[in-house]
Amino acid sequence: MSARDWARRLHLPTLAALAAVLVAWTLLSRRYGAYVLPAPSSIVTGLADIVWSGDIWKHTAASLSRIVIGFGLAVVTSLLMGLGAFISPLIRVVVHDVLAILNSTSVFVWIVIALIWFGLSDWAPIFTTFMITLPVVASNLVEGVASVDRQLLEMGDVYRLSGRQKFTAIVIPSTLPYLVAGMKVGFGLALKVSVVAEIFGVTSGIGYIMNYSREILATQMVFVWALVMILIMGATDKLLFDPVARRLTRWR
Amino acid sequence: MAVKLAVIGVGKDFLIPVIDSVSFTVEVGDFVCLLGPNGCGKTTLLRILGGIEPATRGTVLLDGRPVVADQRHERQVGIVFQEDRLLPWMSLRDNVALVLKPLGLDREARHARAMHYLRLAGLQGFEAYYPGRVSGGMRQRAAIARALAIEPDMLLMDEPFGALDAQNRRIMQNEVRRIWHETGRTILFVTHSIEEAAAIGTTLIMLSARPCRVRELIQNDGSVERARLVDDLNTMIMQEVQRQQGDPR
Repeated sequence: MSARDWARRLHLPTLAALAAVLVAWTLLSRRYGAYVLPAPSSIVTGLADIVWSGDIWKHTAASLSRIVIGFGLAVVTSLLMGLGAFISPLIRVVVHDVLAILNSTSVFVWIVIALIWFGLSDWAPIFTTFMITLPVVASNLVEGVASVDRQLLEMGDVYRLSGRQKFTAIVIPSTLPYLVAGMKVGFGLALKVSVVAEIFGVTSGIGYIMNYSREILATQMVFVWALVMILIMGATDKLLFDPVARRLTRWR
Repeated sequence: MAVKLAVIGVGKDFLIPVIDSVSFTVEVGDFVCLLGPNGCGKTTLLRILGGIEPATRGTVLLDGRPVVADQRHERQVGIVFQEDRLLPWMSLRDNVALVLKPLGLDREARHARAMHYLRLAGLQGFEAYYPGRVSGGMRQRAAIARALAIEPDMLLMDEPFGALDAQNRRIMQNEVRRIWHETGRTILFVTHSIEEAAAIGTTLIMLSARPCRVRELIQNDGSVERARLVDDLNTMIMQEVQRQQGDPR
């Protein structure tokens, strides 16, 4: 691999920009003090601290387990909606309208409703995650179902494939890329939304610990946990969703 | 010779009559070309014969048994569409093997038969390729292999080479002719190209402009010179086009 390829792989321009930001950041931090803007170095030590103490795993696991439940339920519900939309045009219209309504509802509405319904428990962030990610995943899937090539289905009829054979050979492969794309966007959204819901009522999770850090004036920890979130998002995209999407479309 | 396909007074209305009344018979081992001006209902007729679409009136008998749309019958008909209609996420071999599943063959037998017919269609060495990685002509060959693989009683082809360039078209015509010789299948081939029909068909059926009727049935047995035949057919098709344009409807 040539030097140029390495430069592209390492995103050198991004790194250069990052270095410039770090310098400016350090200078501003000196000027305004650690409470307003902690120095980059304190964020590195803060990250090291939570890795050594194990706090990083405790809160990340708490957040992720809530996300996995809420997001997982959203994916399962989306699959049922997609199947319904495939079977009946009537259901497709209803699903489409329901998703349009859900899509235009604010995160805050669901957080408030979740607090009323579930109180100070794990189910508040789970419910919020579910309601926010459902329309994203389901709209993608329903769009995928609608885009199944009718000509291919007719080919299946001509060769007398059974309903099940048509479903596994034609419908599933043509909708899977839509599902994975929806799940990738949905998971990112789940991470962002669930931490907001965690500010209220729970005593673990990244959202809780960020808010707690603010209260005890440990501003650098707010930045540390924000960094943790960025790392989680990047890791799931690069290690999970992107390889799966590539594998599904390797025939292209 | 035994009658393979009998088309008796078949008609189709889409608000107005598209196919008026068409009757002809196809004998076992015939290579029939259906010719006609654009939009005369050739594709619709083929879809009726293949049992994809119901006829408004008339009967289609395949080996003496009626073909009814949406109703399963034990006679097998292989159809090659204008588009290849291959599944892009399956290799050429798996595309062919897929349509063998309803025949109840086991996995190994399906693969063996798929390989056999892909080879017959001149695709040896390309069995593991995805359709997107091969040329349009090769995709259409794979579609033909798929239609042959079910070992159909009859093969219906709907302008299968319409999307190919002139050179590939010529090559594919020869290939189909060769496959027809090797397999002895009865083939019904729809085309709007007179040269194509004269080059490959043993029986040519010229259809009229809409509403579609059989205008002329010609045995292409070499008794008439090829150039003469093409000329005559050209004259007929021009008459039909003019009739359609002059038609006050």
